[in-house]
Amino acid sequence: MESTRNKLIKLLAEHTEDYISGQMLSEKLNISRSAIWKHMKELERDGYQIEAKSKVGYRIIGFPERITENTIQWGLKTKWLGKKVIHREVTNSTQVVAHQEAKENKGHGTVVIADEQKIGRGRMSRAWHSKRGSGMWLSMILRPELPPYLAPQLTLLTAVALADTISDMTGTEPLIKWPNDILFANQKKCAGILTEMQAEQDKIQYVVIGVGLNVNQQLSDWPEEIQERATSLQIETNQSWSIQSIIQEFLCTFEKTYDMYMKKGFVEIKKKWEAYGFKIGEWITIYTLQEKKKAIFAGIASDGALLIRNESGKVERLYSGEIDWFNKKA
Amino acid sequence: MLNVQEIQEIIKLIDQSSIEEFTYETNGTTVSLKKSSQKNPVSVQDNQIQPTTKVENVQQSDVKANIKNEPVENEVTSEQSQAVAYDHEIVSPMVGTFYTAPSPEKDAFVSKGSKVDESTVVCIVEAMKLFNEIEAEVSGEIVEILVENGELVEYGQPLFRVNTK
Repeated sequence: MESTRNKLIKLLAEHTEDYISGQMLSEKLNISRSAIWKHMKELERDGYQIEAKSKVGYRIIGFPERITENTIQWGLKTKWLGKKVIHREVTNSTQVVAHQEAKENKGHGTVVIADEQKIGRGRMSRAWHSKRGSGMWLSMILRPELPPYLAPQLTLLTAVALADTISDMTGTEPLIKWPNDILFANQKKCAGILTEMQAEQDKIQYVVIGVGLNVNQQLSDWPEEIQERATSLQIETNQSWSIQSIIQEFLCTFEKTYDMYMKKGFVEIKKKWEAYGFKIGEWITIYTLQEKKKAIFAGIASDGALLIRNESGKVERLYSGEIDWFNKKA
Repeated sequence: MLNVQEIQEIIKLIDQSSIEEFTYETNGTTVSLKKSSQKNPVSVQDNQIQPTTKVENVQQSDVKANIKNEPVENEVTSEQSQAVAYDHEIVSPMVGTFYTAPSPEKDAFVSKGSKVDESTVVCIVEAMKLFNEIEAEVSGEIVEILVENGELVEYGQPLFRVNTK
């Protein structure tokens, strides 16, 4: 079903030459006039320019910058990434669209972009809030010629490319929480990466890397429990950013980083990753099925694994597990 | 590199403990110990270039070979495996955490008795936030699930037993 908001935009778009009265909108949408007013405020915040004339009505005079397949590709300085772009205004999840595309077509380098995700997915299907036009929501299809056991390195590589993009564009200093969350010194997260792979024993069929980056949200866009943990580029810099430029910049940086990795291996990625590493040298708590232990985060191994050093100096590699980075549960 | 005495010492200590598996790594040398029901196969390998995961695979197949070659010593194991007829094992292509379902509130991909074909997804193995959907790669019936949900698995570790007949 079409949302009230979308119906409202449609009505306004049909009347760009004349004003449409609040009364009429209220009747057509079956909501109160104060609800209409709230919607208008929200639209303005999302980049729509609305002219309100008292006793006459509303008129839309400007639409937000719109992402389309064409506008993304126009000015995109990549060699192979994003040569095919699939753009959806609304989708459940760009990951799902990318999986279908990968199964039906070859699609190495295909990028799926959405303005809005209904069911953005994080780790273990945890929801990711991805409101229309407020962030970069995309999934990339890759067919790397790598043995499957090396593929987890792609998650660290993606985090490095994203951190580079954020720091180059905004001048902020992002950090990477192992393996691939992006946050700032205030410990609030602004981006998440979800990587899914279909592979046989010794051959990767395809990899889909999903990236969600909060760009123009304000704190009030999120429920309270998320406000404590989340941030956006706008909140960090007090200015709004062009989603389209960020997408283009990210794709470009990712392609360079990926090509370098394919040529030279993980060494360079590791160096860059550690320069962004959150809490290196500090105590963290690790939860496994059997136990809970405290250890020092000693950096990452040559293959990207988390290195932890316990009190007796013993160093261990960790590939997976629940980690308490903020010592909240302790 | 550990000398023979040190390795013997470690074996003794582990033998007396409840530790099932032990890996020690230094300067490109890996020592892996794993308890089967009655013995501790030991393998020491020099590996300068290859990643550990690969070596562990070699070691694991050594362990398996040991068990098969010495049925008397491992009576318990072979009796158990005789109880269910299988002719194929789905093994993990990487180190990571084994998940039976796409998310905690969802049903498992497969259970004992499930019929699978080549492209049926049987589980997810996650490492460094990469979620690898493992396909059966054969048609048949799942006769045994060898790993618990949430358990850590090694490269090459058997996850499922399949009867393809």
